[in-house]
Amino acid sequence: MNKLLISNLSKTYNNEVKALNNINLEITTGMFGLLGPNGAGKSTLMRIIATLQDPDEGNIQLNNLEVLEQKRQVRKVLGYLPQQFGLFPKISAYDLLDHFAILKGLTHKKQRKEKVHALLQKTNLYEVRQQRLGGFSGGMKQRFGIAQALLNNPKLLIVDEPTAGLDPKEKNQFYYLLSEIGEQAIVLLSTHIVDDVKELCTRMAIINQGRVVLEGDPLVLIEQIKGQVYQKTIHKREITDYRSTYNVINEQHYLGKPLIQILSKSDPGAGFQSSNVGLEEVYFTQLSK
Amino acid sequence: MWYELFKFEVTYRRTKPETYLFFLFLFAFSVFGVDFVFQGVELGLVKKNAPIVIGKVMGATTGIFMILTSMIMGMPMIRDDQHQIAPFFYTCPVGKLDLLLGRFLGSFLVLFLIFCAVPLGMMVGELLPWRFDSEMLPFRFVNYIIPFLTVVLPILFFGAALFFVTGTLSKKLMVVYTQGIVLFVVFMLTKAITDEYLQAVLDPFSLTTITQFSKEWTVAEKNSLQLTFSGILMVNKIFWIGIGFLALGFGYFRFNFSTTLKSGKSGKSKTSVAPTDKILDINLPSATLRYDWRSQVIQYVRMSIFYTKYLLRETSFWAIVFCAVLIIIVNSINLGTVHGVDSYPTTYFIVAELQELSLYFFIIILLFYSGELYGKEQEVGLHLLHDATPVSGLVTLSSKMTGLIGIYLLLMMAMTLSGIVFQLTAGYYHVDLPVYFSGFFLEILPFLVINTFVAFFIQSLVNNKFLGILFTLTFFILMIVLKVLGIANVLFDFSGGVLPPYSEMNGYGHFLAPYLWAKFYWILFGILLLMLASLISGRGVDVHLKHRLSAASSNISQKTQIVASCISVLFLLVGCYLFYQTNVLNKVWTAKEARIYRANYEKAVKQFEYFPQPKIVAANLHLELYPDHRSYDLVGEYTLKNEEQSPIRQIHIQKLIEADITLDSLSFSRPTTIDNRFQEFEYFIYELSVPLKSGDSLLMHFKQTLRPKGFNADGIVNSVLYNGTFLRNNEFPTLGYNKKYELKEDSDRKIYALPPSPSKAALDDSHALRLPRSGSDSHGLRTNITIGTNSDQTAVTSGKLIKKWENNNRNYFEYASTEPIINFYSILSGRYELFQDQWLPQKPSDHSPVDLEIYYHPRHTYNLERMMAGMKASLTYYTTNFSPYPYQQLRIVEFPRYQDFAQSFPNTIPFSESIGFMLDIDDSTDIDMTFFVTAHEVAHQWWGIQLESANVKGQNFVLETLAQYSALMVFKNHFSQKKVDQLIAHNQDLYKKGKAKAKQEEVPLHMVENEEYIYYNKGLLYMYNLQKEIGEANVNSALKAFLKDWNNRNGQLKSKTDRYPTSEDLNSYFERYKTNMIRADGTQMHR
Repeated sequence: MNKLLISNLSKTYNNEVKALNNINLEITTGMFGLLGPNGAGKSTLMRIIATLQDPDEGNIQLNNLEVLEQKRQVRKVLGYLPQQFGLFPKISAYDLLDHFAILKGLTHKKQRKEKVHALLQKTNLYEVRQQRLGGFSGGMKQRFGIAQALLNNPKLLIVDEPTAGLDPKEKNQFYYLLSEIGEQAIVLLSTHIVDDVKELCTRMAIINQGRVVLEGDPLVLIEQIKGQVYQKTIHKREITDYRSTYNVINEQHYLGKPLIQILSKSDPGAGFQSSNVGLEEVYFTQLSK
Repeated sequence: MWYELFKFEVTYRRTKPETYLFFLFLFAFSVFGVDFVFQGVELGLVKKNAPIVIGKVMGATTGIFMILTSMIMGMPMIRDDQHQIAPFFYTCPVGKLDLLLGRFLGSFLVLFLIFCAVPLGMMVGELLPWRFDSEMLPFRFVNYIIPFLTVVLPILFFGAALFFVTGTLSKKLMVVYTQGIVLFVVFMLTKAITDEYLQAVLDPFSLTTITQFSKEWTVAEKNSLQLTFSGILMVNKIFWIGIGFLALGFGYFRFNFSTTLKSGKSGKSKTSVAPTDKILDINLPSATLRYDWRSQVIQYVRMSIFYTKYLLRETSFWAIVFCAVLIIIVNSINLGTVHGVDSYPTTYFIVAELQELSLYFFIIILLFYSGELYGKEQEVGLHLLHDATPVSGLVTLSSKMTGLIGIYLLLMMAMTLSGIVFQLTAGYYHVDLPVYFSGFFLEILPFLVINTFVAFFIQSLVNNKFLGILFTLTFFILMIVLKVLGIANVLFDFSGGVLPPYSEMNGYGHFLAPYLWAKFYWILFGILLLMLASLISGRGVDVHLKHRLSAASSNISQKTQIVASCISVLFLLVGCYLFYQTNVLNKVWTAKEARIYRANYEKAVKQFEYFPQPKIVAANLHLELYPDHRSYDLVGEYTLKNEEQSPIRQIHIQKLIEADITLDSLSFSRPTTIDNRFQEFEYFIYELSVPLKSGDSLLMHFKQTLRPKGFNADGIVNSVLYNGTFLRNNEFPTLGYNKKYELKEDSDRKIYALPPSPSKAALDDSHALRLPRSGSDSHGLRTNITIGTNSDQTAVTSGKLIKKWENNNRNYFEYASTEPIINFYSILSGRYELFQDQWLPQKPSDHSPVDLEIYYHPRHTYNLERMMAGMKASLTYYTTNFSPYPYQQLRIVEFPRYQDFAQSFPNTIPFSESIGFMLDIDDSTDIDMTFFVTAHEVAHQWWGIQLESANVKGQNFVLETLAQYSALMVFKNHFSQKKVDQLIAHNQDLYKKGKAKAKQEEVPLHMVENEEYIYYNKGLLYMYNLQKEIGEANVNSALKAFLKDWNNRNGQLKSKTDRYPTSEDLNSYFERYKTNMIRADGTQMHR
């Protein structure tokens, strides 16, 4: 069982933006979802865990490693797929993956070859392994990214917004792969798409404005607000009134008309209907606080 | 609308630090511009701030920094793509013309303002302390403005247009970088055009154009006339401005909003692989991860190969290689040319040529690809993936560096291969692989490696490719400036010295060890730099320098600390060793210390310049040479005779001022007391207790040793070498004051309050008239010289070989003069082969036979027959027309090509490896220069050896011009008139070139001092005309009479006077025939 313990982590950027504000999390083997809107501080948190940035305060432990001190040790058991990355356009997939295998310490020639081959097959890039990376589509690039992250059988896999640019089929395969790895390792997945977490993660945290606003098992979290969410289709001009009267957690459109969701311990009446509660509602509940 | 874009462009640039940096950079360079551009070029009488000099410096500076132009002009349209704002711009209602025009004009204005640094910097440069008034015109603003407008501005416009268009159309940074280089290649290619006019038109930087423009100008005009927009300069400028407009037009029509949106490869269809479910079943094999040192070595090796391969995939790299190949092909035709004749394509010539041509490209590759490799991951956005792996920063950085070095190696191997192909196709089969190896891997590679360390360090410091490249370039230029300023200390002489030219006789000789130690020292320094670079290069996203520096201390692992300390200690130890070898075992003189010493010498001892001294009438020497140690032991005995009218009380001895040489003992056959007042100058005065009466003699015994110690930074070549020793008798103790130690340059002399000193005395200088060379110690002497040397070497000196034996596994040779010789002889020793022949007079009764010998390096057999033919033809002509040859031997002896000349001593002529031995003479097209040089040197056996001339102005007219004439007559008898015409044309050419570079106004031939272009080239032309005018026979009769009257031994006039003949004496013989001829013609006399 692997364990990642994040305590009192804070990071402020030069422009006085508090990217992380006293983050505390305990994460164990399995898939952990980090949910939050863009700019919530997810990527900063992940880069810090991935040894690529230093926090102002706080501490991170991975099993018995001090992540902020023993960076090299951490990198040995780390797989990292950042939100955005590029590849050498004129190098073939095989050559670059082989290069990363070397970087990660797979210096045994035969083993490295086997591993690279297997990963290329696993990520369905084997057919195109001799092609230049410059010609890869977004999905293929993303798959290459996951292939390199898995080269060293990581105990901690960090994937930052991985599904952007993937088509649904690719996305499913990708999730399958992640959950397979989640059996052995900590997989830390950040996303702003609620569905991703719902489908995959046994545990999750919601981050907003640098704080952990909610943490737990998605199912339990859903259970907690079950029956408290109501919805109603309204007129556009009414929105401000509703906002002042009710705890509006979400505004969206349904068949061209505004649809609002509110949180209420008791049935508010007034035409509101009880709404299905999913992770999305949990998320909105937290963000609207 | 265009004006808005124009304003935006200017405002944008105004906020960028690069703009100011470029300006400062150009400004700083331009301050030293004249020194840099005209480094090693003789300006002669043209002043350092003459308009044409300013024009050339500006042209060259603009050319060198075309790269800046490309960075400034290539960027504006790429910027949109980089910042990914192109789509916004291109969908705005901006017209194509507005966009391009605004951008172009805005950038061009900025470019223009930046390049204003060039004239400004040059103006400030006038204030530099080493700009002497004598070299400068009074400051004139307009002298800078006109060339800036006529030379620089058109180049800038052309470059701006070209780079703007290529940047706009290609949208690739690397294209922007390389186009500056491509333009430089164009410039180099124009140099290969033989048609001068065409060359001047096509030169993009107008250097040859300016030369052509001012071709007919006199010195005064060169110092005053402006480079106006006219003539060839105008044609050149209109041509390139026209090309600029064409480029702009082309760019305008090709540019198009929609196509440019597809940047790079994205225009092509992306491959994609449909997902399949099969992959779900694949199990990942386990693999061991290793992080021990062996694994790190594997990482280092594999990654190095990866980065080399990476560079090999770069199109820009191949573009540079292509340019290099083009230049080498165009240039490689001229190899080791001496007097217009090529040498055999021997390996060292090929290597030297390849080195010279490729070095520029190596530096370009170093500059760009160190920046490219250092920041490549960041540039493509791969750095986070890379930085999250456990690979050590040092391994990454070293492998990137090694990857780049791998490129150097590949290029060097390719050059070796092409060099070999060149040799084989030229029909030369003596491929010398070790010379290729050392030429590239010993001479160039260490220099590149050390500078690559620096480049990577600078990149890691600034973490910005552009700035990194610029700073590295600045560093290179700074190092060149420091070298020019003369940094004497070996420990601060960055990247170490250079090797002398490779000699087939002596290899790199004793120069190699100090060279390699210095390189080792700097490579250690480089490794330390690289380790430092890996610490501060930073990882992840916090790339601010402050953060990286503070993180560096925590990055440092204990192992790194230990390794770094070990290397530091080794570095210091090697430094100490070097310092000990060069500065403790040897005394290093700074240029200034040496000047002060010379000035002091003159001030202290010049009082004795003409102090009466006895003359050497006999020398008995026993010299033991130890070539392996480059040392000798000399035991000598001089017989000194008072040839003055009055008694001599003091004998003044000057030991050669050279730390490695010790005068162990010196004594006279009469009691003396020694006066050590001038010991500082190794000048000793021996007071004779009983004066030496006129006509009396005494013996002087001395022992002298040469023991070179440590690394001698001066690298004296004129001494004992492993193979090819060549020393002259002035190495032994001399009598009285030595003018050769005086400061020569009047500017230096002025600083130390010394009066100007002409290199030759006036024609009526009564002291100098009595001496055949400065401070001559003899009017003729008998010699007996025994030389011991290595068992595999032969020693040669003037005189007849009377005995030869072996003892103690050493070879001994005893040479003796058969009659008095001049006090000017040399000693040579080497592993020689001997080529022998004999010259027989036409009628045996006329002359005794002469044994002809050539001592040559075993492989240098190409021109032995030509030399032999030259010796024979010369002896025949000179004995017939001038006087008998006084010896029974005539020898040519080869010496290493560290120096290239041939010099005549009594019956022995040392001949440099490079001057006649290696020439590849094609008799259908070339002049047989080996033959000519041989004839010239043999002629000195008459002019200089049988007849000496007073050491006054015109001396070289008597000695050198007559040797030229004599050789020309032998040549004329031996070759067709066509060849003679070719030789005359060659000398006309050299005369013109020499005159253009001369520092002083041309003096008449009979007043010549040390101007080669006058006494060699003009002299030859003068004599050629003279013999045409009054007839060869008459010239020869005049010379015969001159010899008869003035020869050293029994000249009829010479024996009646104590002075030597001058050019006036010589002219008087010619005058007789001129007068006769005119009278015979019945035409009027002109005098």
